[in-house]
Amino acid sequence: MRGRQLAALVRKDLRLELRTRETIVAMVLFAIVMLVILEFGLGTRDGDLTRFAGGLMWVTLAFTAVLGVGRSYVAEREQRVLDGLLVAPVPRVVLLGAKAIAILIYMAAVEVVVIPLVGIFFVKGPYWDSIGWIAITALLADVCIALAGTLFSGLALFTRARDLILPVLFLPALVPVVIAGAGATHAVAGGPHDMSEWRGYCLFLAAYAILFALVSVATYDAVFDD
Amino acid sequence: MTDTPARIPGERAALIWGVLATILVVVASIGVFLVAPGDADQGIVQRIFYFHVAIAIVSLVAFAVACVAGILFLRTRRERWDDVGEAAIRIGLLFSVLVVITGSIWAKASWGTWWVWSDPRLVTYLIVVLIYAAYFVLRSSAEDDRRMRYSAIYSIAGFASVPLSFYSVRVAESFVHPVVFTRGGANMPGSMLVWFVVSQAAILALFIALLEVELVGRRSERALRQLVLRLENP
Repeated sequence: MRGRQLAALVRKDLRLELRTRETIVAMVLFAIVMLVILEFGLGTRDGDLTRFAGGLMWVTLAFTAVLGVGRSYVAEREQRVLDGLLVAPVPRVVLLGAKAIAILIYMAAVEVVVIPLVGIFFVKGPYWDSIGWIAITALLADVCIALAGTLFSGLALFTRARDLILPVLFLPALVPVVIAGAGATHAVAGGPHDMSEWRGYCLFLAAYAILFALVSVATYDAVFDD
Repeated sequence: MTDTPARIPGERAALIWGVLATILVVVASIGVFLVAPGDADQGIVQRIFYFHVAIAIVSLVAFAVACVAGILFLRTRRERWDDVGEAAIRIGLLFSVLVVITGSIWAKASWGTWWVWSDPRLVTYLIVVLIYAAYFVLRSSAEDDRRMRYSAIYSIAGFASVPLSFYSVRVAESFVHPVVFTRGGANMPGSMLVWFVVSQAAILALFIALLEVELVGRRSERALRQLVLRLENP
């Protein structure tokens, strides 16, 4: 029963996205622009940015996540979908899970473009052999982003100046994800192939995801309690 | 009409804690600056440690109090838990800023630079300050019932982020920070430990006193508002 509700809700978000193609296209473009801005901002047009590739990737993805998460509840609010969903006999945890899965899919779609681009733009040295490890890191980090993002966007949804509130709430909580994502990527990309460091960061990401899942499940009922 | 002025509950407790905190802070300052033995290599700067560490520990206590208050608010929906949570985070944030400032002063004196990104604790506290500063942004942009609910949820999620921030900067361990407390016990002589305990007690008492004062202030504000309402609509 819950599984069907979850699937229906995820399908609703994806169908909406496939029809309008608003969010993912904008997120991908934003991410590319970010990478270009970071390159010029660092001002090393002939320098080697391999050491910073992981950091550049995760800074870009963190800001892109804020953008995507901010968009994720727009239909719910503007077209008053939320009123309908809250009246329907669907547990709030299912709403949380569905939104988190939708955000996860958006992020994965952006990463399909960003991860190769980072390799092309910034990494001199072995990168493509490690692409699987980087993908695992990205998936773990996406789960963290999706869970924390769903909780914080729910909080920001009915506040004044919500577009400003979300980054202020969400980005400090994302700092550990950026640290771990950048650390894990750095450990395997372009040169030092330090699997024990990579494993440490990935375990950390898993712990983050579990902790935020627990907090979200415990508090999500109270987010939509009107 | 009664002639005796109505007392705000908690006023007496606030006064007692205030007096106690004042005495302890004075005693601790005298002990730390005049009695405790100086550090052989660091000299006077080492004495900031007595307050720096004590404030750091109490700020975490404050955030824990806010998290518990958040849980209690979500369960009972009583406004007093919102008051406790907000007051605890306000004081905890102030203390965390003090931790960053005192830590930065120490860094300048010991390592010759105001800021060291490789020191996990200093960086962690900076993240903690950012997390809890956002709490007030959230509070100021939601109304009434939502304000209290969102604040409670955020104080729980924020407290979950604290250990995460601690560990994230430590996964790739690099310690420049002096480690005073290890699993083997306190890494300092007894004469220093005594003054450390006293300053820890002083800062804790100061936190409780500030919390009580904040709560009394909040209650009296509410009582005043009710009085005004009653006078306007007799």
